[in-house]
Amino acid sequence: MQEFLTVSQLNGYIEALLSGDPLLVDLWVKGEISGLKVYQQSGHIYFTLKDRDSAVSCVMFRSRARSLKFRPEEGMEVLLRGYVSVFSRQGRYQLYAQEMQPFGLGGLYLQLEQLKQRLAAAGYFDEGRKKSLPRLVQRVGIVTSRDGAALRDILRVLRQRYQHVDVVLVHSSVQGAEAPRELADGIRILNEYAGVEVIIVGRGGGSLEDLMAFNSEDVVQAIFDSQIPVISAVGHEVDFTLSDLAADIRAATPTQAAQMAVPELMVLEEMLQNMQARMGRALLNTVAWRTEALDRVMMRRVWQESPLIKDSIRSLNELNVRLARAMQDRLGQALKRQEVAGAALGNLSPLRVLERGYALVKAGERLVRDVDRVEPGQVLQVLLHNGELEVEVRSRKKGEHGEVEF
Amino acid sequence: MEKLSFEEALTRLEEIVEQLEGGKLELETSLKLFEEGIKLSQYCQKQLQKAEGKIKNLVKNLDGTLELVDWEGE
Repeated sequence: MQEFLTVSQLNGYIEALLSGDPLLVDLWVKGEISGLKVYQQSGHIYFTLKDRDSAVSCVMFRSRARSLKFRPEEGMEVLLRGYVSVFSRQGRYQLYAQEMQPFGLGGLYLQLEQLKQRLAAAGYFDEGRKKSLPRLVQRVGIVTSRDGAALRDILRVLRQRYQHVDVVLVHSSVQGAEAPRELADGIRILNEYAGVEVIIVGRGGGSLEDLMAFNSEDVVQAIFDSQIPVISAVGHEVDFTLSDLAADIRAATPTQAAQMAVPELMVLEEMLQNMQARMGRALLNTVAWRTEALDRVMMRRVWQESPLIKDSIRSLNELNVRLARAMQDRLGQALKRQEVAGAALGNLSPLRVLERGYALVKAGERLVRDVDRVEPGQVLQVLLHNGELEVEVRSRKKGEHGEVEF
Repeated sequence: MEKLSFEEALTRLEEIVEQLEGGKLELETSLKLFEEGIKLSQYCQKQLQKAEGKIKNLVKNLDGTLELVDWEGE
């Protein structure tokens, strides 16, 4: 009687051989996916991995398939890590995939594109839910590397625009394995702190791989969840990062992010002054319009005839004059209080004012405030912010721009 | 007014300016609005000076509390 093995014993023996082989227990294989079957119920994935001449059956169990960062597709070239073992029931060996990624940089783009589509479908990039910035931002949160050029750029521009702006920095790595979690945590911590009006999250430019943290789902989620408006500021060599798409405002560079984040203090001050002036003018117009209307009524002949009415008109006129005077007093007081407050604002040295395009005109040591005190032909000095001009007066015209006083 | 945010004060101020410029108000109403507007703009200007120019580092301690620490950079 010859010795024999059962089929199970044979397969068991081969399986033992394979699992004892140091290469076959853990290896990377490159190939193209074909015959892909994804079982919805079990979650297992079956396919054949092939190249031009050869093919091997593969399976990826649900526990592993769950952590795939992309969706495998027919014909896709992938790099797969796994082990070789025997599928006893059919007596054939197959590759048990543990992890898998699209092959090459093309794979990186693909992975990115798929994540983008999935997040877009889930509403993460919807324009409708984007928050706008308040008009006054005085406290800026920044999530970036404390050592990066991006931070220096942001701080420099913030200061230029708004000298006293407050900054709350959360340090985070901006590339490498820890970066996605740290960036996301940074955004969450600033939300928990709740003391800033805007968050800038970013880094300087880099390659697609360098910027991958800003394409991570973790960071996108944190931006999406943020109650505080987020400006993404990633220096770009590629078209976009997913953080850009999720952010409320996208800046092309950290410098630009800083420009978008805070208003220029001077512009805000000018806006307020401008509104005060408009209110003053509007009020004067109201008074003037009423005075005119009254005058028109008073001019009618019927009022001129009776002595009684004449007396009344006289006292009415007096009242009118008093009313106008009282009104001007009130206006004057209000404006004076305003002026005092304005002066207290300080920080606007004359030189800063000149930088905005204003000039001082001097005749020798005397400041020229009145056109009547200047003669044609006279030589004057004009002070600009960066120097002085000597000019000759050619002619004189009064009141072109109207009086500025109320 | 102390409780108004800059944004709210500014929005109200803009309303007032427009109402005044519309010119359809009683004189007394105009004056009242004017005074409110002046107060609002003073309040806004004061708000502009509130920031202190500080740079702080926000860190999360192990026990989960947040802390602002001085930033020794720049």
